[in-house]
Amino acid sequence: MTLSCDDLETMLPEFLDGSISEGQESAAAEHLATCEACTAELNELEGVTKLYREHGTMHLPDDARNRIAESLGITD
Amino acid sequence: MTAAGTNDTIDRPISQLFSEFADAIYTLGYRIVGDRHLAEDVVQETFIKVINALPTYRSEGPIGAWVYRIGYREAITITRRRREDPIDPTTYAVISVESGASVERDVLNLELVERLDAAMGQLSAPVRAAFTLRDIQGLSTAEVAVVLEVTESAVKMRLARAREALRVQLREYLQ
Repeated sequence: MTLSCDDLETMLPEFLDGSISEGQESAAAEHLATCEACTAELNELEGVTKLYREHGTMHLPDDARNRIAESLGITD
Repeated sequence: MTAAGTNDTIDRPISQLFSEFADAIYTLGYRIVGDRHLAEDVVQETFIKVINALPTYRSEGPIGAWVYRIGYREAITITRRRREDPIDPTTYAVISVESGASVERDVLNLELVERLDAAMGQLSAPVRAAFTLRDIQGLSTAEVAVVLEVTESAVKMRLARAREALRVQLREYLQ
């Protein structure tokens, strides 16, 4: 199966989620091996997730954590 | 074990659930409502509901998915109450400056964090929720579908929309 750039673009969500079929994955890999534009797009999409994984997680401040725990009657 | 927890956690004390999921609900709340004080309210309201419902909770999957679902509903309720969807990116950025002053945030990354918040503030609340749960918190697509009470196809569509919009907005950080 030979893929166009448009074909690959529609498959990217499944490709990124790892939920793509084996046949589609090898076809996608074949296309990516020769297409710089699609490889760059894939790298950028993976980069978005990486950025938010590294910098997008929040931590409940200790004062709020203690206040909420106390209001809920939670003790460690 | 998944990001949403295990199936055999019904006997866990509430303190353990709070310890395990408070940060996750705070992150989800903040990413949806865009305000750290309101995100604290999301945490509080979520765990009030968890405590009240726990005695009648029937395990039908990871308990984390159930806690996330309550948290998501609370965040959406607060968002609707504010009638601010999507979030004003300027407001979101100001909030980040405050957050960046806290010990959890590296001052050197403040500009990046502001940009990430502002970019996310451009998305709709359901799209932000899907992206937060899947790409930040690492739930599976199936788990996100359970939390958001939509189909997996709908989750995938929201994720694709989020990733593409964020890719365009953040291109300078992706080189």
